[in-house]
Amino acid sequence: MNRKETIDHLKALANEQRVLLVRLSESFNGNIHLGGDLSMTDVLVALYHYGMHVSPKQITMKDRDRFVLSKGHAAACMYVTMSLCGFFDFDDILNTYGQLDSAYGMHPCKIRLPGVECSSGSLGQGLSMAVGMAMMAQRNKESYRVFCLMGDGETCEGSVWEAAMCASSYRLGNLVAVLDRNYQMMTSFTEQQTMHLEPYADKWRAFGWSVIEIADGNDMEQIVDAIDHIKNMPKDKPVALVCNTVKGKGISFMERQIAWHAGNLSKEQAQICYNELAGQRRNAQ
Amino acid sequence: MSQYKIGDKVDMREIVGEAICDLADANEQVWGVTSDCAGNMKSFIQKHADRFVDVGIAEQNAAGIAAGLALSGAVPYIMGMAPFTTMRAFEQNRTAIGYQNLPVRIIVYVAGMTTGGGSTHYAMEDIAIMRAINNMSVLSVSDPLLGAEAIKAGLTHDGPYYMRMPNGKGEPVLYEPGSVRFEIGKGITARQGGDITIIAHGAMVGLAIHVSDQLAEEGIGVRVIDMFTIKPLDTELLLQAVKETKRLVVWEDHYAYGGLSSAIADALVDAGVQAELFKRVAIPAVYPGFGSAEALYAKYGMDADTVSKEIRAILK
Repeated sequence: MNRKETIDHLKALANEQRVLLVRLSESFNGNIHLGGDLSMTDVLVALYHYGMHVSPKQITMKDRDRFVLSKGHAAACMYVTMSLCGFFDFDDILNTYGQLDSAYGMHPCKIRLPGVECSSGSLGQGLSMAVGMAMMAQRNKESYRVFCLMGDGETCEGSVWEAAMCASSYRLGNLVAVLDRNYQMMTSFTEQQTMHLEPYADKWRAFGWSVIEIADGNDMEQIVDAIDHIKNMPKDKPVALVCNTVKGKGISFMERQIAWHAGNLSKEQAQICYNELAGQRRNAQ
Repeated sequence: MSQYKIGDKVDMREIVGEAICDLADANEQVWGVTSDCAGNMKSFIQKHADRFVDVGIAEQNAAGIAAGLALSGAVPYIMGMAPFTTMRAFEQNRTAIGYQNLPVRIIVYVAGMTTGGGSTHYAMEDIAIMRAINNMSVLSVSDPLLGAEAIKAGLTHDGPYYMRMPNGKGEPVLYEPGSVRFEIGKGITARQGGDITIIAHGAMVGLAIHVSDQLAEEGIGVRVIDMFTIKPLDTELLLQAVKETKRLVVWEDHYAYGGLSSAIADALVDAGVQAELFKRVAIPAVYPGFGSAEALYAKYGMDADTVSKEIRAILK
């Protein structure tokens, strides 16, 4: 595929992923963290289908890139992305999500779901684990990279900055932190109400990281550019990919709405989602 | 270890540091992780700098990194101080290490009130919180030489464990070197005796042996069990002691509720067994102040003299 075809393909996958998330929410009788799932959908699709070296057929392949979902409440988004990649069967997810003895729950569990690199859900813990994985690769001169996807809200946790300081001190050029900068937490907007995270990219720079900012973290072309650009960064520094995103992206009534941090779609609401997503598909063609 | 004899004062921290280094010499997967507490790991750092991580004063990060290393095939040994390693990083210990059932070994020194530095630096609830973590085994070693055995066990032990040293500086050798079989899940009977049993761990085992030897001269038989394996607890040895001596004293440098005494109380209730006497010798519900460990033990009735007197009174 040439570059344009690649981007169009990824866009189509991201659209399909949103449809599947809506289907999951429509069928599941409980809340799904749709807001954050939708803000990170584009970058996650790009990572699994383009940026990372992973294979659903060889989940223990030695040189696979490691993915740590630090914002574990977005597990549904990861399951769906991985299913589109061939790791899991989407119908399994649809039919069992959140149920007793299912491998697919609100927060990922690596013991129940092989293919997932680590269990998460308690915010702010992923980056330290990713640092440990990156240290192992560095020491053993292995080629894999470690990608850790975090929400901006969870970077309020002090342990994130312990890990950030450590990653640059140990010159972990094989570590990429992907920040889903959607400007919202569960009950508030970051800059207006709770923690002022700005100057956000500068915080990462101050901790010794190379920073790539993506002005629109829901724009596939910009995401692909940024992923391509990682290889141009200094080899002795970890990279922070700051993705400025919109929480609830792609569904008009969810975008930037506190109410849709997590929610449950009715049939009628789901239909509106399908219509909007179909419209986006048509516009892309 | 043959150069040591009973009663020698030895630094368990050094024994443990060397043991981790020896283990790393022969096993690629052994890593060292510390939060600015690796004064005892000089040989390790010298020989295995590429498998050593010092995160600075950041216990949560140390626990998380150890988990990440273990997820990548390592057997990481975390070295830290008891209060901060357990309390500051509790959730990482529970969720990153316990939940994922990773072979992380959490090794700490200055347990209980052994620093004398005040309650910020006392680990008086570490056993309570660590034994609450599912999958986590909990050890508290008495004899400094046995520290090395606990480290070696880390190579084959299933799941994570927490190992607590007393201060780790200058505790006496209690057992003839090489005479004790160290097995997680099996307590050590340090003294036989038929009148009463003291069950202790860590620094209190040496005191208990002293009490037993002293009272033996008066014709009182005090059994001493070194229950270094707090989780899994050696229930068989415990029930046998209750059956044979009827009376139990549980002696520990930890709060009186939540530690070994609570683990034993749980085991007895679960087994439907009641001891004729069950006495806790431990830190009462206070935040203790400053002073040497000996002075603090005396203040709270945790010293050998007080326990001897109490046992005499019980058996009068």
